[in-house]
Amino acid sequence: MTELSDYIASREAVLDRVRRLLRETMKLRLEPEAIDPDAPLFGTGLGMDSVDAVELVVQLDAVFGLKLADSLFVSSKMRTVNTIVDAIMELGDEP
Amino acid sequence: MSLEEEYTFVRHSAALSRMEHVQCVRIEGEDATEAVDAICSGDLWVRDGRMRQTLILDERGQPIADVYVCPDDDDCILLFEGMTASELFEYIDRYADPELEIRPVDLRPTHELISLHGPYAWEVLSRWLTPDIIGLPYLSFYYFDHGICFRAGKTGEYGYDLLVHREHAGDAWQDLLGLVSAVRGGEVSLETLDLCALENGFFSVRHGSVDGLTPLELQLQWRVSARKRFPGVEAIEERRAEGVGRRLTHFVARDGVRAGDEVRSADGPVGRVGSAMLSPGVGGIVGTALLDISVAHPGIDAFFASHSDTKRPIRTISSPALFNRSLLVDPHRHTYETRDRSMDPPLWQGALP
Repeated sequence: MTELSDYIASREAVLDRVRRLLRETMKLRLEPEAIDPDAPLFGTGLGMDSVDAVELVVQLDAVFGLKLADSLFVSSKMRTVNTIVDAIMELGDEP
Repeated sequence: MSLEEEYTFVRHSAALSRMEHVQCVRIEGEDATEAVDAICSGDLWVRDGRMRQTLILDERGQPIADVYVCPDDDDCILLFEGMTASELFEYIDRYADPELEIRPVDLRPTHELISLHGPYAWEVLSRWLTPDIIGLPYLSFYYFDHGICFRAGKTGEYGYDLLVHREHAGDAWQDLLGLVSAVRGGEVSLETLDLCALENGFFSVRHGSVDGLTPLELQLQWRVSARKRFPGVEAIEERRAEGVGRRLTHFVARDGVRAGDEVRSADGPVGRVGSAMLSPGVGGIVGTALLDISVAHPGIDAFFASHSDTKRPIRTISSPALFNRSLLVDPHRHTYETRDRSMDPPLWQGALP
């Protein structure tokens, strides 16, 4: 179970950082834990708009080195908090 | 029509459906918005002509209705699942201020609700209604001669709900069916729409998996206001203070998993399957499981779903499960006829356990 425990610990650490980043970027008046990992980012859910998206892309690059330059890549990776965490986890050792 | 054929309509072209499971009411009167705000769990700050998804909860904090609120001048239109119109009116009587000036009107006797879904649903509707419809933003609505068009949907594809005056509904259905057939689409059942909703992580109040759960476990906190009081809020506050012990998590499996299965790790039980359906897009099972919060994360291969003597591996995933075609289709550039292979990547881009 060590491998699983390590994975979960790593994932929770990234999730926490992404939640805080979203809270700061979008000026959300929510505790980080109140941001559901599978909540949609756009339209419903957190209600992000295109301006928020641009700011978030910049912040994800600055904080995690996650480059979402291609619009299709943005569409597939920026759907929920969890899909962003997936993309960061795929980078390997996050900064 | 098989479920696989219907599924192809929703995921690849356009699908038409009668939404008999959705109730439609108009709350009229100068206090309509206040009355609706009093009964819904979410903040209803939304401009005229736009829609907002919210919930109605019971006193245990459990969702009993999944609601779109649509402010329309002084009135409010509500499209909802999970309760009848008369149950909603009783709920308003019970929980809203009796002094409020409102007149609830059930729209079902005078209207039918017809829905269009799919990556080319916009093309069908632009031919039937007006090309301007492609500019209608998600979660907004538009009046036309015979009713109202709501840009919504719970499939992850382009979606429109058409509330059509009953005297025009028969002609509308026939016209739309002809246009849908022209893009190799067709009529679909509620079962297919439910599967598509599950694949894309949309909440369904009609699934038994919500029993005993609040928005905290269901990952619906974004539909719960942090600023106002509403029915069920005390139960949510109490559960939040206790600490949330479980969270709904999506998974895939090859086969053999069904609702009610126990989810186990090598060390013992960690949760229970809430819903499970065979997905043509995934080529296996998609589902949700209520997992212990300590392990309720995507990307885990270490669990099994078990019933009787069977034990099937599952993989937890991030929702939505699919890479929807509608993400690739631009109504300003594409049509069903001019689509090409670049717009046809696999719907499911992961691996089964």
